Amino acid sequence: MEETRKGTPASEATPAAPEPCGRREFIADAVRIGGGAFAILAGADALGAEPDKYDWDAHRWAYLIDTQKCIGCGSCVRACKAENGVPDGYFRTWVERYQVSPEASHVDSPNGGMHGFPAVKTAFEPTKAFFVPKLCNHCKETPCVQVCPVGASYRTRDGAILVDGERCIGCGYCVQACPYGSRFISPVTHTAEKCTWCYHRITKGMKPACVEVCPTSARQFGDMKREDDPVRLAIAHGRVNVLQPHLLTEPQAYYLNLDKEVR
Amino acid sequence: MPEITGFAFPNDIHVTWSLMIVMYPYITGFVAGSFIVTALYHLFGKDELRPVARLALAASFCFLLIAGLPLQLHLGHWERGFTVMVTPNFSSAMAVFGILYSFYLVVVALEVWFIYRKEIIETARQSRGLKRTFYAALALGTYDTSPAALEIDHRAIKLLSAIGLPSACMLHGYVGFIFGGIKANPWWSTPLMPIIFLLSAAVSGIALLVLIYQIKCKLGRKAIERETVQSLVRWLWFFLIITVTLELLEIIMLAYENSEEWHIISPLLTTRLQFSFLSVQMIIGSLIPFILLFIIVTMNRYLHDRVRNTLAVIASLLLLVQVFSMRWNVVIGGQLLSKSFRGLRSTYEPHLFEKEGILTALVLFVAPFVLLYVFDRILPIDAPPGVHAPEEPVSEAGVSPGTA
Amino acid sequence: MEHARHVFRVLLVLLVLVIVVVVGRSFLIPRSFGMYGSYRFDNVAEQANARPPLHRGARSCADCHDDRSQALAKGSHARVSCEVCHAPLGTHVKDGDVVAKMAVDPSVRMCGYCHQKIEGRPDKFPQVAFEQHVEGGLGDRGCLDCHDPHSPKL
Repeated sequence: MEETRKGTPASEATPAAPEPCGRREFIADAVRIGGGAFAILAGADALGAEPDKYDWDAHRWAYLIDTQKCIGCGSCVRACKAENGVPDGYFRTWVERYQVSPEASHVDSPNGGMHGFPAVKTAFEPTKAFFVPKLCNHCKETPCVQVCPVGASYRTRDGAILVDGERCIGCGYCVQACPYGSRFISPVTHTAEKCTWCYHRITKGMKPACVEVCPTSARQFGDMKREDDPVRLAIAHGRVNVLQPHLLTEPQAYYLNLDKEVR
Repeated sequence: MPEITGFAFPNDIHVTWSLMIVMYPYITGFVAGSFIVTALYHLFGKDELRPVARLALAASFCFLLIAGLPLQLHLGHWERGFTVMVTPNFSSAMAVFGILYSFYLVVVALEVWFIYRKEIIETARQSRGLKRTFYAALALGTYDTSPAALEIDHRAIKLLSAIGLPSACMLHGYVGFIFGGIKANPWWSTPLMPIIFLLSAAVSGIALLVLIYQIKCKLGRKAIERETVQSLVRWLWFFLIITVTLELLEIIMLAYENSEEWHIISPLLTTRLQFSFLSVQMIIGSLIPFILLFIIVTMNRYLHDRVRNTLAVIASLLLLVQVFSMRWNVVIGGQLLSKSFRGLRSTYEPHLFEKEGILTALVLFVAPFVLLYVFDRILPIDAPPGVHAPEEPVSEAGVSPGTA
Repeated sequence: MEHARHVFRVLLVLLVLVIVVVVGRSFLIPRSFGMYGSYRFDNVAEQANARPPLHRGARSCADCHDDRSQALAKGSHARVSCEVCHAPLGTHVKDGDVVAKMAVDPSVRMCGYCHQKIEGRPDKFPQVAFEQHVEGGLGDRGCLDCHDPHSPKL
């Protein structure tokens, strides 16, 4: 999804007083994105819609991770923390390192990979090593929504699993139910939190922060309802995998080149 | 920071369900178990349990009043706890808590009311002033103690007992379902979980009654009925055998199938839960009481009352510990393993003075006994001697067995 | 039936209780609850407006720093977003005004996140063992002593 910005007139006639360039753009942006009331479209309202409204029926989001491209830099983890204010010691996304030989395997994720990975000496000689980014899979048949006692956890029509921070009672049942360890109880809000696919960004045509910063495009975000979406094409035609497929949670985060050692 | 052996998902190292979530099934276990005892008398006509029937009901009621507190203390937002009754999401086993709890509370309260109604009215008649008003209000302003009314009471008690038994079982069974339905956690995910929880609850309830019955008799300087203790011990032994069989069966099955679940559960049991599971739950908590109860049951004829009572007390105390350790091993044990199936965290240590800490747990355990004492002061658990107890069928004309 | 009066009293009390709970409950259910499922629909818009986006992507940096962007596009860091080494745009610019100096970490550690030689990175990916990268070791020097971060290939 491309940003819906207009072309930037960098060579606009500049007045005598120095001014941050493209200021008009920033202001327009702020009003559009930062400030005003921003409604979610539903159903019939989609027709004749104002440009500010987001139609959740027009999208079905999906995430694609290519473990062969991930270099374990941790930019995604840092970006997510900055973008979403994730508390220390908890992770909305993280990166795992696998060092594997046919006989043994070693997995680690020092501080979620936030500050990269130090060299580590394993007891055995690995024949292959790779990094696996992880995040909430936004499953279609998710156990976390199933077990929420008060309906605070839910699935949006565009495929994101969100937690209503106003209704969550902090019972922790969803944290226990998630097979992927994506959820946690925030020590700040005392409610359940997890990756939201940066819902505040994707509803404005941007990508999640982790995808935005990934230097190797190991992480990609796409719309299954768009015919020419590269993520959709990869999922539709490539050899993809998901985590713990036997649980039939139907994750919407797909992996390319996923090794059998990854759970 | 907890120590991790192996690899745990970064969010998995935090133990979300604390000591309070261990206390909750422990307390509702007493609720269900005590009610099973009182139902054995009221519903199934086990007359040898008559001396403990009212005590069991009172205990069930008092523990029920406390049962909601561990949950409230655990919630991140306790002030929103009531929303589980406003917008329950019924695909969640936890959502039925509000309804089950309220329903069962009403059933038990009603049963208590019907059993004590005659005595409430008589107390009201014999009192003056504030006390009279209080008891009159408790009687809902009716003063009918005719045999016909008592007969209706008797039938109501039977009906409430019949409704109450499955309700009590569901109130505790759903807790087992909460764990059993989590496919993400191999230590919890089994259809046996609700059954194990419920049978374990029966063990804890009966063991509790063995203890408090004897204590009550001692305090009231009454004789401890041999047949009552013997019957309780027999039921206790029976439920213990089934409970431990199922607990072990689950593990044996996992070991036999030797899937990835066993690869993380085996180190869990042998390293992190070695003391609490093998030593406490199985050997001290199950094997020794099994032997003690075995002695009481099979050597009944040769036992002096004192010996029987003492052995029963020791076995019951050990079983109270066993049931607690079972709850601990399930709740905490399940959180010590990571969903990566590659790592275990160091054991969870609750603090003494935190909101969900040891002191709070102790207070929660003691509180029902305090309530039981208050209950006894308002509604004496032992029917006054010579008074025709309402739960007896009125057809036994005039002759009241009278509680010893 | 006269003798069952107390039973009717009890049932009446229960009925009142049930009505209070059912009616009271209906007042407590949030307005938008259940519109599209067992959740509060208003929350969807709330989440979409939860916070202003902090990262804005490399193209938004080009608005003011076009020269840097051009240099970047020609070098081997072309696909690296500015916000990877620098902080998110939202920490530097708010509502069109510069609110703080753009942060950057020029240390060896920063470059090392991607380029320190460790197991797991694709073989073709440029990585070096820092201690052996330069004759006599790095010492006090940093990567930026020799490499331009916007066009790092020497």
